[in-house]
This record gives sequence, structure tokens and C-alpha cells, in this order.
Amino acid sequence: MNLAVIGLGNVLLGDDGFGPFVVELLRTRYVFPPEVELLDLGTPGLGLITYLHGHDAVVIVDAVTGAGNPGDVRVYEGAELERLPIAPRVSPHDPAVSEALGVARLAGTGPIDVCLVGAVPGSRELGAGLSPRARAAADAAAEIVRRRVEERGFAIRSRDADPLEQNWWVRSCS
Amino acid sequence: MARISIDPVTRIEGHLRIDAEVDGGKVSRAWASCTMWRGIETILRGRDPREAWVFAQRFCGVCTTVHAMASVRAVEDALSLDVPLNAQLIRNLILIGHALHDHIVHFYHLSALDWVDVAAIPRADPTKAAAIAASLSDWPGNSPQEMKKVQGKVVALLQSTQLGIFANGYWGHPAMKLPPEVNLLALTHYFQALEFQRKANQVVAILGAKTPHIQNLAVGGVMNAINFDSLATLNLDRLYMIKTLIDEIVPFVHQVYLPDACAIAGFYPEWFAIGGGVRNYLAVPDLPVDGKASAFDLPGGRIMAGELAGVVPITGSRDAAFRKGVVEDVTHAWYKGRGPQHPWQGETDPDYTDFQDDGKYSWVKAPRFDGKPMQVGPLANVLVGYAQQHALTRKWTDDALGRVSKIAGRPIGVDRMQSTMGRYLSRAIRSAMLAELATNHWERLVDNISKGDSTSYNIPSFPKGAVEGVGLHEAPRGTLSHWVVIKNGVLSNYQAVVPTTWNASPRDEGGLPGPYEASLVGTPVANAEQPLELLRTVHSFDPCMACACHTLDPSGRTIATVKVL
Repeated sequence: MNLAVIGLGNVLLGDDGFGPFVVELLRTRYVFPPEVELLDLGTPGLGLITYLHGHDAVVIVDAVTGAGNPGDVRVYEGAELERLPIAPRVSPHDPAVSEALGVARLAGTGPIDVCLVGAVPGSRELGAGLSPRARAAADAAAEIVRRRVEERGFAIRSRDADPLEQNWWVRSCS
Repeated sequence: MARISIDPVTRIEGHLRIDAEVDGGKVSRAWASCTMWRGIETILRGRDPREAWVFAQRFCGVCTTVHAMASVRAVEDALSLDVPLNAQLIRNLILIGHALHDHIVHFYHLSALDWVDVAAIPRADPTKAAAIAASLSDWPGNSPQEMKKVQGKVVALLQSTQLGIFANGYWGHPAMKLPPEVNLLALTHYFQALEFQRKANQVVAILGAKTPHIQNLAVGGVMNAINFDSLATLNLDRLYMIKTLIDEIVPFVHQVYLPDACAIAGFYPEWFAIGGGVRNYLAVPDLPVDGKASAFDLPGGRIMAGELAGVVPITGSRDAAFRKGVVEDVTHAWYKGRGPQHPWQGETDPDYTDFQDDGKYSWVKAPRFDGKPMQVGPLANVLVGYAQQHALTRKWTDDALGRVSKIAGRPIGVDRMQSTMGRYLSRAIRSAMLAELATNHWERLVDNISKGDSTSYNIPSFPKGAVEGVGLHEAPRGTLSHWVVIKNGVLSNYQAVVPTTWNASPRDEGGLPGPYEASLVGTPVANAEQPLELLRTVHSFDPCMACACHTLDPSGRTIATVKVL
């Protein structure tokens, strides 16, 4: 069994970079076994299919709209995601999480165990770094991801050193 | 009269919106609008030019690699810095891998279902489908068993309460015309294509150290250490892994993708007369084969008013006409400023109104070349090469048109390529060319290393004062140029003129529409509630619009709203 934690979002657009931020947070805080991959995929659109391949389980971290107030964290299970309506796409950029999961399932190559940990974004203005609410949500989301990964039998070890608080895109933009 | 507004993500900012007025069953006026601010380049001002590419590849989530490449090339151009041959060839293999991945995904996963009617698949005879496939190519994955397996999946899905990925297609639409067996054949390849786009992406991952967001670039070359015998470097093992992948991808492109694109074109010949639009074409040369980037395997050039005989070559980033010719107009875009501006002087100062049919209506600026709108993309690529008697372009274009003519039962010549179907077919032709070049560039790289050359990087040095540069890349969606001004070693201006800005450009000062807008005019629409024909023409450009914002919307989306005027 293997698992991927996938961060989605644009790191140059404020809270849209929530997913990649949480992935980096996990990378700096914990040592994961080799069967667990941490992936910052940016905004791959339907290209997500490529990275679903070969994983039994995935935990996707993303910004989500329409789910409450900025900073609220919500967890969606795979079946719930696949029930989302899919419209014909105009651009490869259109968010494609449910479609990618559907294609992977039909092709028989996708993960069976899927969930999405999402946070409602505050600001998505141009600029790197998270708003204070999204930053707090990142800690909560990282904790949810850590627990979920452990529940699937993977041993996670905390790093001894102080975790790096800021990612490359935040450090060089501040 | 009806007005159709295709705004696929109405609850999320940042996407392509198409508005079309339909009169007498045809589009009479059209507008292309990007609904999100695209001034992402401003984040680069004041930065070190050597790290710009790391940020530039976050402009866009789908085409990360292409922005990274244009960025390092722009800085190298400003510094007149040569790149070692090994670095050029490694970059070329990355670009080829990326382009093949992108074109395969576009054809099968983003646009095939505009032409393939999934609802007709249960009626197909798998044995007959396999026989049709065998008449098109020698591909071993076309057995009746394979077709039957895919048909079974589709039948099960159509019978279930959830249609999943097929929930919102325009099934049974009057514009769907393939025989049931050809629908089944195409969908069988849709699933097989998943594996081959992944292999193409693996080429990028091995050479670039990671995808998406490659790590191996540097201003001055690449960071791949080269040593045939060292475990930690680009060694023979890794090079042969790449060769194995190329040897698997090439047959898929030549025996599956190209024949499928030709078959669909042959069954829909009427689409060679629809969607021509702007007939000025622009392509830049790419795949440099020397350190100075003075010779290329893919030619560049421009064609005005559809006259192939009048093609003017573009020789590279030092081409004076190109450096001078590109401007951006903001008359109908949500920016301040008047009149066209050259990218080196370009400003990005927002001035949002609302959507005004005759005023400002898009966040995309209107790039122009010598004052004219230009169409970019694989079609421009193919036409510019064909017009210059480029042997590889001629070989694959003639091959493809021969196949199309056979299926359509009448001759279809290169003159018919300036159309919606021509754009689909050109992407397959370009892929066939790139597949052939993949092997060629791999061999050149191994040869060059075998001769004892292991250099991959030249150190950049920054002069005092200001220098200007432009980095070119003929990306999957067409001509990409990054324009930089460097003052005392720091970026003072950065403008990216991306393929989709050329194609999705709004009207300009003179009221001339951009390629999307012009190509939609005259497109037939059988049913305004299901504007499949509009999507076919828009998809033919492979729009890559919101090079940025992405937020999942769990509450769903609507695709088309139709207002009767």
C-alpha cells in the first residue's frame, strides 16, 4: 500500500496556495516512510490524473469555496467528490479534481481511498503567503492529514530540528 | 436572435468566458474574455534574473515547463550568453516530452468527447471496430477483446445512476456524426492514451528532476551533471531509461494519435470550412541545435492574410523584425494606458469596468504584430514550416492529408487547413514531427557526450546599466515570449506575452477582433442550449486561460447560459 499527499493551488495567489503550503509544512515537520509521497502539484487541472496513478490512497489538500467562512476546514470523502457535477471544460485549467478521480477510477488505475482536506480562502490576491486565518487553518489541516496517514498504518516521525516556518515562495517574497 | 454566454466557472473568478450572438443558426458576433487579472509578472520586478524562472513556472499550472524555459532564454538573450550544446539538447528533450504529453492530453482527454458520442458506444460491434482500427494502423492494442472491454465499462456506467465523467456531454447532439464503431475505437484509445501521456511526462521528470515544476534549469544551461559512469549524474542508465520511454511513445503517436485525428477529420470534413478566423500566423523557431541558438529543427516565420507564398522567416530571438514588431494594445482590456505598447515598455496597471460589449471586456491584453492580430499554435507552426518547404513538416502534413482524403472520399489539401479542423489536425502533425525529433535529439545528446563533452552550464555575468532581452519558445499552444529589462543585475520589467493572449485577445484600437472571436463568427449552432459547435472551435485552440487561480468549487458549475434577445 502506498499513499500520496497532494497539494493543489497557486502559490503566487495568496490563500490559493493553501494546498502546497500544507504539503511543505508536513515535509518540514515530519519524516514520512518511503511509501508516502508528498507532492506539490500547483494547478495541474486535468493533469492531476498523471499523479493519481499508482497510489492506493491519496489525501488532496486544496482551497475550497462555498463551504463557510475564511479559514474553515472541511473534509470531503472520495465518493462525495465524485458526485460533484462535471461540466464540459473550456480550458485545461478548470478545477478537475472530481473529473480526474472519475477518469482514474474508470481506467482502473486510480486510488481507491480518497479524501480532500479543504480550507475556505480569505484573500486570493496576487502575492505570496497565507492570510492569518488560512495560516491557522494550515496547522489544523496538517494535523488532519497526519492523523489520516497514521490511521492507514504508516509510521510518522517528528523532525528534531525546529520546523522551517516559511516556504521558498514566502521567504523570497517578504 | 440568441446570446450564448459560456462561462464555465461562474462562481470562481479567473476563466475564459465566451459570448456569442447567434442569428439564423450561425454566430454573428463573438467576444472572448478572461475574467481574471493576469498581471502576475509584476511579482518579478526587483528580483534576481537568475531566479525568475522559478517564479515564472508558477504563472501557469498546466504549462509550468514552458514558462521556465522562456524565462531563462530571455535572460540569456539579454546577456548574449551562449548555452552549451548538451544543455540545449537536454532542454529540447524536456520540451518535446512536455509537448507530446500536452498534445495527447488535449486530443484525447480535453477535446475528443466534442466529436465522440459516448451514448452511441453500446450500439457498436467490437469486432467491426477492431477491423476499422486495423485498416487505419498496425497498432497492437486494437483487438476486439480490448474494444469489448471498454464497451463494457461504458455500458455499465451509462446504466448506473451516476454518469461520472460522462455526466455532462452533449450526447446524441445532431452535430455528432461518427459511426458507433469509430466512437468505440476513439474511447478505447482515450484510456490507452492515459498511459502514454504519463510516459511523456516521465521524460520531463527524469531530466527535470521533478514534475510539475522542473528543477534542473539555470540561466546559462542546465544543472544536470553529466557523467556516463557516475550513479549520481545523468549517466547511461538514465539516458537509456529515457530512450526506452521515447521508443514507447513514438509508436503511440504515429500509429494511434495521428491516425485517430485523421479519422475524425475524415468523418467531419465540413469542419475544414468552419472557424478559419484570423489568417495571419506567427510561429517562432525552436529546438536549437547549437549553443548560440542560430540553427533550429523547427522553423519560425509569419504568414499574412493566409498567403503561404508570402511567408517571412523568423530567425530567432535576435530577429530584428520580431523584436520590434510585437506590441500589446489595451483599448478593450481592463488596463490603463492608450495605444499599443512594446513589452519592454509594457505596463500592467488595472482599470476594471464591467463587461462592456463595445468597451473594455477582458483581462487579456491584445498582442499585435505590425499592428495585426496573429493566430499562434500548431496550425501556425505547420503552415509556416510547410510554406518554407521544411522537409519534416511536409512529410507529416502530406501523410496526414492523404489519410484524411482517403476517409473523406475526396481530396483535402493544405489550403483547407485554415479552419477549426485544421487546428486539431495540425496538433497531431506537430506531434508526429516531435516524436521523430525525440529520437534524433536523444542520439545527438549521446553522441556529443560520447565525444567527451560533459559541459552543461556557462556562468552568467551581469553588466552595469540596462540590458533588454526576449526569450522565445514555440510552446504547445504557440508562440511564447518573455520580455525582460535588467538594470544593474536586477529585473526592472518583466512581461510575458503568452500564446493564449495572442489567440484569446480582445479587439484592438482599430476594432479588429482576436483569433477566438474571429473564428467563432460563422460557426453554425444547431441548438443554442447545447452550444457544442462553439466548444469545438474554442477547444481547437486549446485555451490555457487562467494561468493562475484555481479553487475547487464543491457546489458545482454551469456551462452555458442562453439569453434570447
